[in-house]
Amino acid sequence: MGGRQAARQVLVEAGQDCLVGRFDAMASPCEILIESGDRETAERLTRIAAAEAWRIEDKFSRYRAGNVVDRINASDGEAIEVDDETAALLDFADTLYSLSNGRFDITSGALRGVWTFDGGDRLPDPQAVQAILRRVGWDKVSWQRPVFALQPGMQIDLGGIGKEYAVDRVTVTLREAATCSALVNFGGDLAVTRAPRERRAWRVGIEPVSAADKRRNEAVLEIATGALATSGDSRRFLLKDGVRYSHILDPRSGWPVEGAPRSVTVAADTCTQAGMLSTLAMLEGYNAEAFLDGEGVKNWCRR
Amino acid sequence: MTDNKKSVSATLAAATCSLLGSAPTAPVQAQEEPSWDFNTALLYYGEDNDRVQDLSLNMLGKRYFLDDRALTLGLTVDTLTGATPNGAIRQDVPQTFTRPSGSSAYTIPANELPLDDTFKDTRVALTAAWEQPLGRLWKTSVGFSGSFEYDYTHLGLNGSLSRDFNQRNTTVSAGLAIARDEWDPVGGTPIPFSPMLDVGDIGNKTGTETKDVVDAVLGVTQVISRNLLVQLNYSFSNSSGYLTDPYKILSLVDGATGDTITRVPAPGAEGPSHEFRFESRPDDRTKHSLYTQAKYYMGGKVLDASYRYMTDDWEIDSHTLDLRLRWPIGERSFLEPHVRFYTQSEADFYTISLVDGATLPTFASADYRLGNFDAITAGLKYGWTTRGGNEMSVRAELYRQTGSIPGGLLIGNQVGRETYPDLDAIILQFSYRFSR
Repeated sequence: MGGRQAARQVLVEAGQDCLVGRFDAMASPCEILIESGDRETAERLTRIAAAEAWRIEDKFSRYRAGNVVDRINASDGEAIEVDDETAALLDFADTLYSLSNGRFDITSGALRGVWTFDGGDRLPDPQAVQAILRRVGWDKVSWQRPVFALQPGMQIDLGGIGKEYAVDRVTVTLREAATCSALVNFGGDLAVTRAPRERRAWRVGIEPVSAADKRRNEAVLEIATGALATSGDSRRFLLKDGVRYSHILDPRSGWPVEGAPRSVTVAADTCTQAGMLSTLAMLEGYNAEAFLDGEGVKNWCRR
Repeated sequence: MTDNKKSVSATLAAATCSLLGSAPTAPVQAQEEPSWDFNTALLYYGEDNDRVQDLSLNMLGKRYFLDDRALTLGLTVDTLTGATPNGAIRQDVPQTFTRPSGSSAYTIPANELPLDDTFKDTRVALTAAWEQPLGRLWKTSVGFSGSFEYDYTHLGLNGSLSRDFNQRNTTVSAGLAIARDEWDPVGGTPIPFSPMLDVGDIGNKTGTETKDVVDAVLGVTQVISRNLLVQLNYSFSNSSGYLTDPYKILSLVDGATGDTITRVPAPGAEGPSHEFRFESRPDDRTKHSLYTQAKYYMGGKVLDASYRYMTDDWEIDSHTLDLRLRWPIGERSFLEPHVRFYTQSEADFYTISLVDGATLPTFASADYRLGNFDAITAGLKYGWTTRGGNEMSVRAELYRQTGSIPGGLLIGNQVGRETYPDLDAIILQFSYRFSR
């Protein structure tokens, strides 16, 4: 979840046959497409959406001093009692850890200390990676709801879940707040509150992977209900000796997953499901497409 | 695939539901924005020795709608020219034949295989199909096909139903197609076994003839592992009605020498130099075939192997083995070598000639396509993706058909003179796939 605290303002402007509410949260441009011509409604809904997004950002960003994640990360091995919402996220992280056979791990953020995915060719020292791995591993934590304890030196990062979770929370909130259809889009991870009435679906562009692929990859998706999420490394990668290292790290080895697609977009009932499936697919590397097809999940993978 | 893997989506859905404290209100409906996906191909098929040449242009357009409904429209335009064996045997003297239209004659030099060079036609074929999922697991399609030639019309309807099982690892499908085809050759349809008459004499011709075709297929597709997909199909086909080829004839020969009986056209008329009889096939044919295909993915390469066994009540049995290996070259192109082996046994009424004075068999045809032959196809395809994201490919293949005439069918002088009309052909194809 986002580093810098952006100016917290909302803006509503006219879009194509809809009104668009905009704000920044979690280091992403966020937009709410609203199927209504009523500016007042649009502003109200955008404010509700932004408030929920900022609440989640404040509560779970590892960059906010004093929040629950910060308290856990600063606990130095001491047990922390957490509230229900945090407990639900930790339960979810636990399920993901076992579903992914240890490849989805919210304690793996420390690996970012040695890996810098800036398109360059600087690989870390394998010994430095090994040293960090001693402080990584969900199997090393103690989680007995509502009490959570890390080993000293370990950290958690809910960034891999937070944005999709926020999209779904905002979607639920807006569904209760209005009868018109709205599309909640936080930097490409998105969900629809209810099927639109004045059009058959919302149109969403998938970002091209590279300039050369632009025409092909400027695919436009239609979404009437449910959610879409995209995982990708269009900019975040390393290139050394002709090998492309994706930013998807396998926390079991501390090294990038081999053969991951450049981007994976998944459609699912909720943004959280879509996001986790796209992340799990990236972790499958060469088998990403086969994994998603095997799961019967609608997907668009780019290599 | 382990059981653990199969349940990822389901486990995730349950975990998300408890995380959010609510179940999703509606299942996801998302897809690529409808656009037409066009597949076009230009195909050349050319047989050696000025036999059949076919140039065809195929266009297939597919448009998806919300919920995976799709419309497919196809158009094929074909032009056929060249000569094809008419079924008569070689003679050591020139032979004259009345053209199928009955309006003129052609002469074949001594010792040459009689080829009818009037073969020239343009065909236009249209297809349309609508696919419609029914719920999450069922899928249906209905379609229409029509093909129009100068002397032949085909109209057909088809439908299919499929269902996914076992986390979509298994698909069972069934299909049915019915068609009615109509022959309307220039100058009429010849009466089976009637003699070839002089130019202008249409005493042996009737009007149009029809045939009805019913095809049914039952299939299972199974994902065996992440790398292996297999398919097994059984198909049944029944044709009834006029199944004879109105352009094929048989030579009427002397039972001792094997030479064709000579004939003299009416005074002042042009006409056949020898006795020829139009062929006669049964008015019913039932085929059964089993088809199995495996696709094996190995780190970017795809091996596609298939085998078909076909048997019918004309006693033709055939085996087809087809192998393709798709080999990626870099990120945007691939090479695909292809080999196909085919072998068939002859129809029970396949023969070389009819014996003068003997009782006529119920059915007889000397059509080389109903004979005993083997064929091999070998080729290479190169495909690439353009910078614009469109796909192109070129394919070149060689086809060789070699046959043999079963012992006992040759009489007297036919031995050593008559051989199966072997055939070499080349196939060239350029295809282009694009969306807009």
